[in-house]
Amino acid sequence: MADQAPGVRIDGLTVVYKTPAGELPAVRGISLTLEPGTITGIVGESGSGKSTLALSLLNAVQPPGRIAAGSVEIDGLGDVVGLAGEQLRKARGAHIGYVFQAAQNSLNPLKTVGKQLLDLGRSHGVEDLPGLVREARELLGRMGLDGARVLDSHQHELSGGMRQRVGIMLALVLNAHLVVLDEPTTALDMITQANILKIVREVHAERGLTTLVITHDIGVVAEVADRLAVMYGGRLVEQGPTREVLGAPRHPYTRGLIKAIPRLVGDIDEARALPGRPPTLATVPKEGCVFRERCPQRMDVCDTVDPSVVADGARVVACHAVTVKEHAS
Amino acid sequence: MTLIARRLAGHLARGFVMIIVVATISFFIINNIPGDPMAAQYDKLLQSGMSPEAATQAVKVLYGFQPTGSLWQQYTDYIGGLLHLDLGTSVSRPGQPVLGVLGEAAKWTILPVLGGTLLSFLVGVILGVYAAIKRKSKLGDALAISGSLLHGIPQYVLAMLLVVIFATLIPILPADGPVDIMFEPGFNAGYLGSLAEHAVLPIATYALSAYGGWVLAMKSSVVTVLGDDFILAAELRGMKRSIIFRYIARNAILPLFTILALSLGLLLGGAVFIEKIFNYPGLGWLLIESINTRDYALMGGAFLLITAAVIVANIVADLFYTVIDPRVRSGEDST
Amino acid sequence: MSTVLIPETASAAATMRRNFWLGVWRVMKRKPSRLAGVIIIAGFAFMGAFGPMFYPDQLPDDSNAITQAPSWAHWFGTDPQGRDVLALVITGSRYVLLSAAVTAVITVVFGTTLGLFSGFKRGRWDSVLMRITDMKLTIPGLPLLLVLAMVWKFGSPIQMGLVLGLLGWGGVARAVRAQTLSLRERGFIEAARGLGLSTRHIIGKELLPSMAPYIAMNMLIAVTGAVYAQVGLFFLGVLPYEANNWGVMLNLAVFQAGAMITPNALGYLLGPLLAILLLTLGIVLVVDAMDEIFNPRLREE
Repeated sequence: MADQAPGVRIDGLTVVYKTPAGELPAVRGISLTLEPGTITGIVGESGSGKSTLALSLLNAVQPPGRIAAGSVEIDGLGDVVGLAGEQLRKARGAHIGYVFQAAQNSLNPLKTVGKQLLDLGRSHGVEDLPGLVREARELLGRMGLDGARVLDSHQHELSGGMRQRVGIMLALVLNAHLVVLDEPTTALDMITQANILKIVREVHAERGLTTLVITHDIGVVAEVADRLAVMYGGRLVEQGPTREVLGAPRHPYTRGLIKAIPRLVGDIDEARALPGRPPTLATVPKEGCVFRERCPQRMDVCDTVDPSVVADGARVVACHAVTVKEHAS
Repeated sequence: MTLIARRLAGHLARGFVMIIVVATISFFIINNIPGDPMAAQYDKLLQSGMSPEAATQAVKVLYGFQPTGSLWQQYTDYIGGLLHLDLGTSVSRPGQPVLGVLGEAAKWTILPVLGGTLLSFLVGVILGVYAAIKRKSKLGDALAISGSLLHGIPQYVLAMLLVVIFATLIPILPADGPVDIMFEPGFNAGYLGSLAEHAVLPIATYALSAYGGWVLAMKSSVVTVLGDDFILAAELRGMKRSIIFRYIARNAILPLFTILALSLGLLLGGAVFIEKIFNYPGLGWLLIESINTRDYALMGGAFLLITAAVIVANIVADLFYTVIDPRVRSGEDST
Repeated sequence: MSTVLIPETASAAATMRRNFWLGVWRVMKRKPSRLAGVIIIAGFAFMGAFGPMFYPDQLPDDSNAITQAPSWAHWFGTDPQGRDVLALVITGSRYVLLSAAVTAVITVVFGTTLGLFSGFKRGRWDSVLMRITDMKLTIPGLPLLLVLAMVWKFGSPIQMGLVLGLLGWGGVARAVRAQTLSLRERGFIEAARGLGLSTRHIIGKELLPSMAPYIAMNMLIAVTGAVYAQVGLFFLGVLPYEANNWGVMLNLAVFQAGAMITPNALGYLLGPLLAILLLTLGIVLVVDAMDEIFNPRLREE
């Protein structure tokens, strides 16, 4: 693969989970483009389908889930949904790097990081293993760690922030140019969060990556992402350039999210939590707008008709209220 | 390593307490046997014209403690003897020290137990992995159920079934004692062959009765590890299946090693049924024999040795774990 | 800096009590073999309770039909006194099941009380009690029973059940303690305290119902072990002769009638053997079903 950032085009992606109540969609009809060399942030509450979407990029949705429709085109790889077996395995790691949440134990507890690095190299047919180790040490050093010592450590000897950096190293060491970070800062303390985000930004620029960050924390997206996509109940409700979306949110859910942020300056009472709770797989409405139960601008049409995705320049939004307002003006 | 030393010290202290507890149980049982055989023996010796001192001494040799004196005196005497590894002298085998009799018997217990346990561990662990991976298919279900059943059937029932099938209905294997008496003991083909032939059924019984437990334990361990994040992580990093399989296997088998050590210790005492049915003169057989012949010193000694085996197994299991698991090794208990 | 602003919603855990019988029914329905387990256990209970009523106290012997192979008149043959083996097995079931019931009651009462106390009080009491439980688990059970058999003759099934129960409560105590501690860790007990509920209410109305399944499962396992142990003790012949007892039957079949050498006496051996196997099968199937009801990890996704 060429040493440059790939573009990704997700089109009409639907992922369903098999439950006793039949197959229920966790992600429904999502279309999203990751421009080469950009950082895209996906924000959503737990259960919004954002992690499922992230796994779809590697065609790694875990059973009982499966990709029911749509495609994920990645430059240099083709449609990932069609890949299987050895081809798919080699694409993971070598072309697409995946970074787990720091709180999750993404390393084999019985082996040192270095030994797992060698396993990774052997899995992908790397001939120059000493070179791989050198590369890993440099990457870790770049992220402010003592590379040699970290490679010699077991998972339990590393702090959350260190584990996260090891995760980033393992995602990049095979020279992948598309990186997916799942909740990169969750369960880390504030200082470490800031450090990790700085590293993500810098490494992204230095190595020429296309990056996707999945988070429930809108602050993270504001910090690193060029583009922002908001998910709710398995649907993409709004997307656009980060500054524009944050500065002038259109979808009532996005607005609710931003309003709920408490600010350091100003009255704490101004921060307003969103009323109600997000839907689960079983409670997502089958027709009509998924957000209507919590929506302050609910209309009759929201009960029956799914709002269509309307593009307006770089901005995309799926809401009846927004469409109506635009027609009126 | 100081950690190992510290753990070892703790274990030894606890083990010592356990030995004392078990010895105390033996003491009170022997002391409370209906009919008071010790006093009877003492009186008999007195009547036969022995001096009280000599009679006391003779009884002490037999039972490990004096027939006269306060309970406390008798007790301290008994425990004191134990600390000098003086377990008394066997009554049913006149003149033989208990320690020697036990050593002779242990020989016949350890080999079949070791063979059967290791065999079942090997087979059970492999099939357990299979049962976990195929847990949603009929075959996996069948493996798990067969495991539960074999695990559930009492050892003596299994032993008898094997004898009925392979020694009575289809008489192809011997089931009477450890070796044919027509062979001269020693390193000759006939003796060793007979020894091996006689060991087949007992080892098979150990193996079958333990196999189910291994299948079930390994299955649940593998299922747990399969759900761990690092397995998904390895998959998403595009690791080879063979490497992922090794990750699963090593993590899943770790807790089983502890059970292995513990079960080896427990089996010394659990050999009672198998040794009785196959007429194997091991420790369990000796324990029953000593009870039936009212050989109290031998009984106390056998009981003590069987318990000591469990304690030693506990210590070995823990130390082993300390060595092979890096998380315990570095002295912090994560997960 | 970044702030966690969306509250992670914990889905309200449905109370186990309400869905319990529904779950039981679902699990039973999915695999009929489990229903068979329940039927087997019920059948044994019935046999122990009412079986002996169909036979005279002194089973008729027939000196013309000593140690016979199975036939239509005697399904499992006859014993060396010419008594029907099937009748012996049925009348013998009462001893086994009665002592098993006593064991069950004692393991549950002792194990639950000590486990709750330990997990509830924690601290010094906890470590002392758990040390004792550890010790009990370390002393190998069967050899201890054998040694105890020298002073105690286990004259009645009640006495037998009593001793086995006193030796067998360790497992239940551990399970209950672990459950109590885990509920405590989840803030369950503190929350109930905060609501002003009395300790008695917390234990009786909140803790016990939610761990009843664990207690039941561990009890079943303890009872199974106890049944095997008592049959085994009689089989080994360290206890005095007892009329109509499975273990004694096995002992006589093997060591006197020579069932393992003479095929004619095979029925005498197989009668009690099959009874034990069937009981095992029933218990395994029921434990398997319980495991799935109470252990969500094993539940099929």
